[in-house]
Amino acid sequence: MLDNAFEALKKYDWGTDRAPVTPISDAAAAAHGNPEARKDLESRLLAALKSDISRDAKDYVCRVLTLVGSAAAAPVLSKLLADENHSHMARFALERIPAPEAADALRDALPKLPAKLKIGAISSIGNRGDAHAVSALKGLLEDGDAAVARAAAAALGHIGNAAAEQALRAAHPSSGVVQQAVIDARLACAESLLAVGNAGEALAVYDSLAGDQQPRLVRLAATRGKLACAAKTA
Amino acid sequence: MPKARKPSRRDFLKTAGAAMAAPYIITSAARGSADRPPPSDRIVMGGIGIGNMGRGDQGAFLNRKDVQYVALCDVREEVREKSKAGIDGHYKNQDCKVYNDFRELLARPDIDAVHIATPDHWHAILVIEACRAGKDVYCQKPETLTLREGPLMIAAARRYGRVVSGGSQRVLEDYRKFVDPAWAGEFGKLKSINVNVDPLPQLCNLPAEDMTEKIDWDLWLGPAPWAPYNSKRCSGSFSINGASWRSFGDYSGGGMTDWGAHHFGGATFVADVRELQPAEVTYHEENGRPYLSYRYPNGFMLYHNRPNTGNLHIEGSDEAAVPKPVPGYQGEGGIYGDFIHCVKTREKPFRDIELAVNSAVVSHLGNIAYALKRSLKWDVARQEFPGDEEANRLVDRARREPWQL
Repeated sequence: MLDNAFEALKKYDWGTDRAPVTPISDAAAAAHGNPEARKDLESRLLAALKSDISRDAKDYVCRVLTLVGSAAAAPVLSKLLADENHSHMARFALERIPAPEAADALRDALPKLPAKLKIGAISSIGNRGDAHAVSALKGLLEDGDAAVARAAAAALGHIGNAAAEQALRAAHPSSGVVQQAVIDARLACAESLLAVGNAGEALAVYDSLAGDQQPRLVRLAATRGKLACAAKTA
Repeated sequence: MPKARKPSRRDFLKTAGAAMAAPYIITSAARGSADRPPPSDRIVMGGIGIGNMGRGDQGAFLNRKDVQYVALCDVREEVREKSKAGIDGHYKNQDCKVYNDFRELLARPDIDAVHIATPDHWHAILVIEACRAGKDVYCQKPETLTLREGPLMIAAARRYGRVVSGGSQRVLEDYRKFVDPAWAGEFGKLKSINVNVDPLPQLCNLPAEDMTEKIDWDLWLGPAPWAPYNSKRCSGSFSINGASWRSFGDYSGGGMTDWGAHHFGGATFVADVRELQPAEVTYHEENGRPYLSYRYPNGFMLYHNRPNTGNLHIEGSDEAAVPKPVPGYQGEGGIYGDFIHCVKTREKPFRDIELAVNSAVVSHLGNIAYALKRSLKWDVARQEFPGDEEANRLVDRARREPWQL
């Protein structure tokens, strides 16, 4: 049945019947607790991804790799990151594969990607909470493309550790949009720091954002944060 | 408390049409009147996503004397034009501004609050961006598309002190007949409730069609995977069986979240576990038909599609339950009035985003358990499936560039 499904995948496209390929996603769920079955399925999916199948078929493969992909999938998926037609779905899998090789692939791609696709990779790095990416993201905070810099700020906010906060604090964005993103990310970092018991560093963030030079919305957020710190340390 | 009926599209058009037919005399939008607060006391609102649900929400807010509705955003040109005509007719002016891109609407400093009724794949981004822009938010249900989105939406609301209300009016209005006796202790301590709702979301591979409407297709897709235009893919009809976006996993959790938001929201209200999330979900099969049971930390059991059991079937016990007052809407005008009241007072609304997220979590846990065909444990504090690397992959999904949370 699985052989037939992979055969059907060769002709799968928008508008074709989904049923013939469904055994592939069924096999992914059924492979739970069976490393050999997962490995075998992943190998077949990667072979399909490298073959001449439709965009929709490759999208389908990436969806299934989200569940069964491993370190072995990273080099194949990473080759798609620079392809505008496949970059997102490559990330669809890479972002959710816990292997460190998947994180490496996203980080390594950053300098090679055009702005729009770079924003996607930055977003996936942030969603993974990849603490190893702080240095690379810090360098992007002052990127000439404000959308890239804004994305880097948001990603650092998702990582949320002390190093990410320090990177954000050191940034000097000229664009108002990026400034706003940096402040939002710093507030997110402060929340993460407070959640793990680092009230001192969280309070330092809030103190630095509570001044009159900040917009009212930010001052109020910082004041709420200071109260939360006080409650945590009381 | 009187029951508020959700305004229908027909109600809205009737009102707007009557207003448009009236002669232009003077606009109460320009100044206060005996029965209308002055502009400085009105909540200035805009709407994002004015389809089937958005029209109803818009009509409800538009008809409030304490709201000044000034802007709307939709990726469909025809929707923008029709909606503007209705609003301008209502106010007897030409002041309503229309936008294709929500970012332009959110950038307006004069807007206090927005209502959001886009497809679900946009909800988290829009709610978070609205909070960052200092707006209060009324967001249609289901509020989230993935498990990870909920905590981020709650964090944004709390960070900026925003009032963010979820959108199921049925939770209170449809299920009151169960809530009142349950909270009065008439059923004793509740053991379980069953919810029947279908179907699960499906993959959409509808074929490309010629575009017969003026729609910003890239913006409609937004963070979802790219796909060719197809009128069923983006239809806002209430179908959950393949004829609208509600059916498809890239944009919705299917019937499980679409109606699940109402039913699970109602059931968890009846059982007074709105502030909790399940600790585990167990996958069962009986005669080849799957169903689920959720266990809450306090021992309460929630079932989904339990065989031979009706929807909202309540299992009580002989163990006494202490009667308690039932929370409800504040202000006047149902769930919309509750939201506006809270915008003014800064209180938490009846469907505060945290409670709305908790009921959406039930739907998402169920969808994941059905997809994996197995039982799952859920760590509420860490928002993950402990020790379950595969299930954790389904907590969120990558968003199409340039969109991110």
